[in-house]
Amino acid sequence: MDKKTKTIALCGKGGVGKTSVSALMIKNLAQRKDLKVLAIDADPAVGLCTALGVQIKKTVDDIRNDLINSIKKGESQSKAATLNMLDYELFDALTEYDNIGLLAIGRPESEGCFCKVNSLLKDIIQDLAKNFDVVLIDGEAGVEQINRRVMKTVDHLIMISDTSAKGVNVANTIKHLAQDNKAVDYKSMGMILNRVRDESEVLNIKNNLPIQLLGWLPEDDLIREFDFHGRSFLDFPDEARACKTVKQIIQDLQIL
Amino acid sequence: MELFEQTFSDIRNYIEGKNCRFRVAAEQKTPWPSGKGRNVVLSDEMAVELGSPQMNSVSCLIWTENRNLICDGKINLVGPDIKESNGQSLPFGKIVLAEVSGFDEAGTYDKYKEMEAVRYSLDLKGYMIRAVSQYQREWSRISREAVQKGFSFKVLGSALREEYLKKDYIHAVEILFVTSSGEDVGELQEITKNVGRTISAMNKMLSEIDPDCDECEYNDVCDEVDELKGMRKTRDEKRMNTNG
Repeated sequence: MDKKTKTIALCGKGGVGKTSVSALMIKNLAQRKDLKVLAIDADPAVGLCTALGVQIKKTVDDIRNDLINSIKKGESQSKAATLNMLDYELFDALTEYDNIGLLAIGRPESEGCFCKVNSLLKDIIQDLAKNFDVVLIDGEAGVEQINRRVMKTVDHLIMISDTSAKGVNVANTIKHLAQDNKAVDYKSMGMILNRVRDESEVLNIKNNLPIQLLGWLPEDDLIREFDFHGRSFLDFPDEARACKTVKQIIQDLQIL
Repeated sequence: MELFEQTFSDIRNYIEGKNCRFRVAAEQKTPWPSGKGRNVVLSDEMAVELGSPQMNSVSCLIWTENRNLICDGKINLVGPDIKESNGQSLPFGKIVLAEVSGFDEAGTYDKYKEMEAVRYSLDLKGYMIRAVSQYQREWSRISREAVQKGFSFKVLGSALREEYLKKDYIHAVEILFVTSSGEDVGELQEITKNVGRTISAMNKMLSEIDPDCDECEYNDVCDEVDELKGMRKTRDEKRMNTNG
């Protein structure tokens, strides 16, 4: 039977620790050496690449801009030839580390609307993703960006929030956008609370949360230390609480 | 001059002049499992890489209606075979020579595009291909598991030939693989440079709405090759009829 790719997207307000959680998830997923993991850094700040200790060669937006420039110069190719070229360039932009492939979306710089180019790139990213067992997208705050620039459908949409009212409100807004405005198709949705100082905070938030709480991570000095020193989260100790919590969430979601 | 006539002759001379490691007959039915549509080979599981973006690479397909120019089923290899290259990244050249029929001014470019798509339809477990026809580049990877199970240029060439022969207008296929050195691949790039220009000329002639032939960078190719002259004439006639 053909293997099915599982797709997870992480969203949330800036500064809530989305990228650290994404990196810990990738670390846990990639420990299964029989699996191929595609990590997509959809945040223009390309923080996931730093969190994984990986240098990127080029971003999807570099490829997009090259294509737009060649179109502007009047160079034309058939759709099939263009798709094959994008496929080649995208694989070249993939940074590989063990069984992990990392793709950075980057920041769009060209002005104007190039919906056709975006649509071709999205098709190619989706085709590439089918070759992996798990795809994890570290998204921007806005869930619509995932749909517009990466892919239309994900299996698990995970909101990350700290315990602030602002963070939880943003997560609720994302939920509303995804659910009611159909900004992205998903099969399951949940939230991870990050930087929890006291378990009572979790209980308070959980009672008013319109989303399933998948788990929570305490304020963690080790995460801060890894962030501060720019150390790769792939080296994060397995026995650390944050790592164990993320592993449990992956198991509960039956991602593997 | 017939399309690619000179290139056929140059490639034949190239094959004769190089120390061909083998010239084998393709298998009638390739005994290789399908990758079930999952054909990404990451460097972690890779045994051999051919024509990566950091290496010299050339890949093209040329066709003729002259049966005598093709040795059907022959797979020529200049350089080491896949199992002898374990752990290496090699320069790569691949030329497909095909005997075809029914290529006329109206259908040649569409048939070329169909033939061009054939390599992407190969679904061999442990074999990954990425290619850009505009630049005549082809980049492939073979997994360690595939090499252990005997993946070779004979397997690849036979599978490729089998795919091409599924087209009812392709009757014979011969393939040349080059892995010996960047210089040998560079020599092949020189030989096939005009193939790329000819295809680009066809693309421009047939995809642009109103190309100006006097200003066109491929003017010289279109003036020299009979098939292109014919295609241009057909296009101009169509345009005149449309304009009344």
